[in-house]
Amino acid sequence: MWRLKTLRHKASGSANDLEEFKHKRREFEKVLRQARRNKQLISKRLLQNVDEDEEEGDSMETGSIPLSPEQVREMIRGVQSGGEEKAACLASLRKALRNPESQVTFIKSENSMHMLIGQLSSHNAQCQLEAARCLHELSHSTQPSVGQACLPAGPYLLTYLSSQSTKLVELCLYTLGNLCPDSAVVREKLLAQGIVPALANCIHIQRYNLAVVEAVGFTLSQLLQAKDATEKIIPAVMASGIVPHVISALTPDPEFGYGPAIECTWCLHYLVSSNLDNSMLIAQGALSQCSAVLLTLGGAVAQGNLEGGIELLIWPLLRCLGNLLVSGGDVMPEDTRLLAALCVFSQAYLHPQPALSRESLWVLNNLTAGSSGFCSGLLLLNMVPILIQFLSFSKGINSMALRVLGNIAHHGPEYCVRLTQAGLLTALCATLKMAEPEVVTLSLEVLYMLVSSNPQVVEEFTRLNGVPLLEAIQYNSEGEQRVRAAYILDHHFSAFSEVESLSS
Amino acid sequence: MLQAELIELLGSVAPIIISENIPVTESRESEWHCLQQKETGDENAISPFRFRPQRLRFAVEDEYFEDGDIHRHMYLQDIVTATADDEHPPTISEFRCHIAGCRQLFDTLEGYEHHYNSLHRNVCSNCKRSFPSNRLLEMHILEWHDSLFQVMAEKQCMYECLVGGCGLKFKTSKERKDHLITTHSYPADFRFDKAKKSGRIREKKTQQQKDSHMEVFETATIQQESESMDFSLTPEPESMKTVETEPMQTANLKPRYSYKVPSSICFGQGSVRGFRGRRKK
Repeated sequence: MWRLKTLRHKASGSANDLEEFKHKRREFEKVLRQARRNKQLISKRLLQNVDEDEEEGDSMETGSIPLSPEQVREMIRGVQSGGEEKAACLASLRKALRNPESQVTFIKSENSMHMLIGQLSSHNAQCQLEAARCLHELSHSTQPSVGQACLPAGPYLLTYLSSQSTKLVELCLYTLGNLCPDSAVVREKLLAQGIVPALANCIHIQRYNLAVVEAVGFTLSQLLQAKDATEKIIPAVMASGIVPHVISALTPDPEFGYGPAIECTWCLHYLVSSNLDNSMLIAQGALSQCSAVLLTLGGAVAQGNLEGGIELLIWPLLRCLGNLLVSGGDVMPEDTRLLAALCVFSQAYLHPQPALSRESLWVLNNLTAGSSGFCSGLLLLNMVPILIQFLSFSKGINSMALRVLGNIAHHGPEYCVRLTQAGLLTALCATLKMAEPEVVTLSLEVLYMLVSSNPQVVEEFTRLNGVPLLEAIQYNSEGEQRVRAAYILDHHFSAFSEVESLSS
Repeated sequence: MLQAELIELLGSVAPIIISENIPVTESRESEWHCLQQKETGDENAISPFRFRPQRLRFAVEDEYFEDGDIHRHMYLQDIVTATADDEHPPTISEFRCHIAGCRQLFDTLEGYEHHYNSLHRNVCSNCKRSFPSNRLLEMHILEWHDSLFQVMAEKQCMYECLVGGCGLKFKTSKERKDHLITTHSYPADFRFDKAKKSGRIREKKTQQQKDSHMEVFETATIQQESESMDFSLTPEPESMKTVETEPMQTANLKPRYSYKVPSSICFGQGSVRGFRGRRKK
């Protein structure tokens, strides 16, 4: 299981260390972003051996010296010669395999994989475990050749998913999960060897062991991220019976932590956001489960509880909910507490994770579009001032907030009046001057709905000095804006302007 | 909604369903516009408004999801930290001047307002000069562009002192200028008291300063009498390319001048002179 890395505050720790860490992280982030743009975003996990925490200091050193081919051969011989020393040999091999060069040397060495597989399938439990750990180290390699060399171990890894030893099961799962993204060849083989039914079976048997559930979730998520997942993998997954388990794992266990829920929710996101029609997932309870968990998390965040990586769970839940609302026919939740949860998320994460804030507003848009219930809800629960706050922030935040406000206004004059009472006109006078064209156009759309609803709005807008602003927009280079501003002026403000021009 | 109210709402054990929605009025757009057309008699009044509430779908690989995916993978690779991360603050929206040909960006609303009020109000539609106040603009229009004024100035003192409350009038612009210098201690080169140049000259375009202070900016005038006004402010290369030009004028204009404003249009209150045809594009 994983715990979030805590920044170790060393006694001698200086601002420099922190800066260096931050710098490294920024660099890493750039690499990941580029990888995603190339559709090559791959991550692997290394299961740390809990028993060996005290060895952490040494491990860095032993791992840093690559083995020579001769040393590798010797280690292999040591294992094959049998006796009491086998497990110890495998343990030192495992430590050596932390070094990427040693990994390559190992797989090139004759009979190396054969030996490992032999130990993996032996009756000696200790050797079995150590062999599995060696394979796990190898699976973590970024070199495609290493992963591919591990392929012969596939059927064994899959077989041991039904083992009674949860330790072994976990290892095998993470090993498989690491191997999946390596190449289409690897995936095809594993699929042919039945990885999907094996995972389904595993999560079913071990559903009360949250560490294993987390591991299954991870492996499944690795499969589902493949480029060809939609055609080759998702149908098998949907047919396998694994989905109900994934859905029920969405509810986080407070004692264990968010790990299992995080993995399974990302799996669900990959499923939902790849499918165009999610009626099956909705029938299996995906929508209600996502809503329920979001409400629970909303309560936690509302109380100021942002720790523990809760956003890692909120993020995929939002995406599931957002896309389920579009692709599942017309099934709509009705609980207005969802509005509160989404408002809480969008506010709480505005500064730490603005993209998450933006996605919360996206889900609000999907909820309010065409739902008078949710639009009424936002008004009656007095959440409009919160939405108005978001209008100052760019990069998709203000435009999405404007869409939500537009959804509300679109329901008619009764809604427009309340929006105006909440101060929307003043805010629009600012958004109409913003740099992003989409924001200005959306603002004109919303303004139009407001002024069309009621002559008092026209008066109010004039009082706020909005008319010269509309006139100025007519000289904007964007046709979309000119045309709208002109229309509003002609249809609602022509009386005022004529008076003005006559008097001067 | 206050934080406490939100907490309470979320703490509720039972779902909260609004029993009575606010009444909805279906807007039957096409019907409404038929009515409009009948009223105004304008057959071209088709509404340009396109907004409809719509649910948006984003595919798994969409750019929209990039930040969240990166965060997820950084967690997988053990780089996410437990402490709050201030690496990615939200961006505050900038403001941009609407006037095509200007398009200047501002960090604050106040910056925008000041710019607009200083440079785009009180603009003379004939020669595109902008003035700090409505009064100065009116005086300019009278003195430079009003033929009746010229006629009357031959017989009486028409050039009014610029200082508010003075009220003295002079026969010529020069006399007024001397008065300003001697009586009111004005500098000899006061910007808003330039003598009218005879004939139409192609004046040099001055570079508009980045911080908008009260300065007359002069734009290149087109040699022929023309319908359209040219707003050649600080040339921002990108905005120059995306604009329609009226075919008749292109011959005379450098390609980097952008969107044209018909001369019959002035903006800003009080500078309305023959304010007609706002719909001209």
